[in-house]
Amino acid sequence: MKIIARGAEAIIYEDDDEIIKYRERKKYRLPEIDAPMRKSRTKREFTALSACHRAGLNVPKPVKISAEGDKLYMEKIEGEQFDSAFSVEKMSDVGVLLAAISKLGIVHGDLTTANILVKRGQVYLIDFGLSYFSKKDEDRATDLFLFKNALKSRHPDDAKKAYKLFIEAYEAAMGKEFKGIETHLKDIERRGRYHENG
Amino acid sequence: MYVLGIESTAHTFGVGIIKDGEVLANERDVYKPKAGGIIPSEAALHHYELGPAILKRALDKAKVSLDQIDLFAFSQGPGLLPCLKVGYQMIKFLADKYDKKIIGVNHCVAHIEIARKVTGLNDPVMLYVSGGNTQVITYENGKYVVFGETQDIGIGNLLDKTGRRLGIPFPAGPKIEELAKLGKNYIKLPYVIKGMDVSFSGIETFVSQMIEKHQVEDICFSLQETVFAMLMEASERAMAYCKKDSLIIAGGVAANARLNEMGKIMCDERNARFEFMKKEYAGDNGAMIAYTGYLMRDYAQDDLSPKPDFRTDAVEIKYR
Repeated sequence: MKIIARGAEAIIYEDDDEIIKYRERKKYRLPEIDAPMRKSRTKREFTALSACHRAGLNVPKPVKISAEGDKLYMEKIEGEQFDSAFSVEKMSDVGVLLAAISKLGIVHGDLTTANILVKRGQVYLIDFGLSYFSKKDEDRATDLFLFKNALKSRHPDDAKKAYKLFIEAYEAAMGKEFKGIETHLKDIERRGRYHENG
Repeated sequence: MYVLGIESTAHTFGVGIIKDGEVLANERDVYKPKAGGIIPSEAALHHYELGPAILKRALDKAKVSLDQIDLFAFSQGPGLLPCLKVGYQMIKFLADKYDKKIIGVNHCVAHIEIARKVTGLNDPVMLYVSGGNTQVITYENGKYVVFGETQDIGIGNLLDKTGRRLGIPFPAGPKIEELAKLGKNYIKLPYVIKGMDVSFSGIETFVSQMIEKHQVEDICFSLQETVFAMLMEASERAMAYCKKDSLIIAGGVAANARLNEMGKIMCDERNARFEFMKKEYAGDNGAMIAYTGYLMRDYAQDDLSPKPDFRTDAVEIKYR
């Protein structure tokens, strides 16, 4: 087993064709907060991945959770991380994929370009650690809001164009459901502190 | 080169004087509401009344006279408009009188710049925690970018509101910290991370319903442990995502020892550096405005009006 990434939340190991996501104990956090949180996030991630995978969406196939409840085993996707292999042209595909996930009633909760992989030209969404089940417009809008901000901070030069392609594809795929989400998105942006133009 | 800076975004009226980037004086006075939260007009009145005396104190301490000052800087925002106006008017008066240039400084950027200077960390992630502000800030492509922030109220605001319910006067942070040390039983609170952002308003409501059902010490303990852990998680995410290897905590809430301890533990675990900020420079102060004004000395600014909603990423950083 070798470590392939050390994220903020977990250590990612690779073992042949399997990926193991280990949510390490965070010593800064009180054990009473930390222990149940690591288990519940692992379980939630497993459930969300299972639902997406059953629906045939591009996500890692979940295999199992360890007995201790803090390790998630998944099938490996041989892809490149989208934040370094960034291309504006792929943004429509991301919009379509997120729409399909939204329609399953899943909110990703941590949509960034680092959580997207590209494999043979196809986009895959990974890291469902902060995901939850909801079909509420407001929750769905959170994904859009976070992604927009992530684009702005990570890919400032392409952010505008990239987001436009993404949101157009998302809107087309969501159809009638988009209107309510858009209203909430505007609301979140207005609530956001110190936004442009006061 | 002598630079004089005025800070007046909220509770604090501060005057800092620096010479060629070194701090000569950093004087201040903090408005404390008699009851309840900050009343902007009252805070502005405090600044207006005490401002000249604080200015004099700073000049005496630095052993310089006003005619020696080469550049005048003020905190342009974000903040409360009545308070911002006091600083602006005072600087405008002085700069006009001595015919010198004015630099408008972004308050959040000033916190980072003084932190970089006093800690020596070149490219840290900054967790900025005060009454109204809760932001995780990183430097990317010539700008300071807010990587994560509160989606509703500031952390200090949450502590003060809870403090008021517990009968603790403003600012409630220090007393809550003291009581938290005596708390033993953790009461489960909502832990709200939304991607890069945090949210406190739900916790505020939740805690308001706990009062009288639990020991005050346990409430303070549980509150601190929960919200600080959220802030640490948001900070760690910024560090991992933006590939930064150091952290500083600034703002009024940075005075909390437990928050700093968590920062140290988190950084140790990921082989990153953590530098403790001296209280003098962690909270709002005039020296940070003067120092950032010094860094920005060659900027040409058209709009010097106070900006209550001044965004951190609206400032182009040309000196880094």
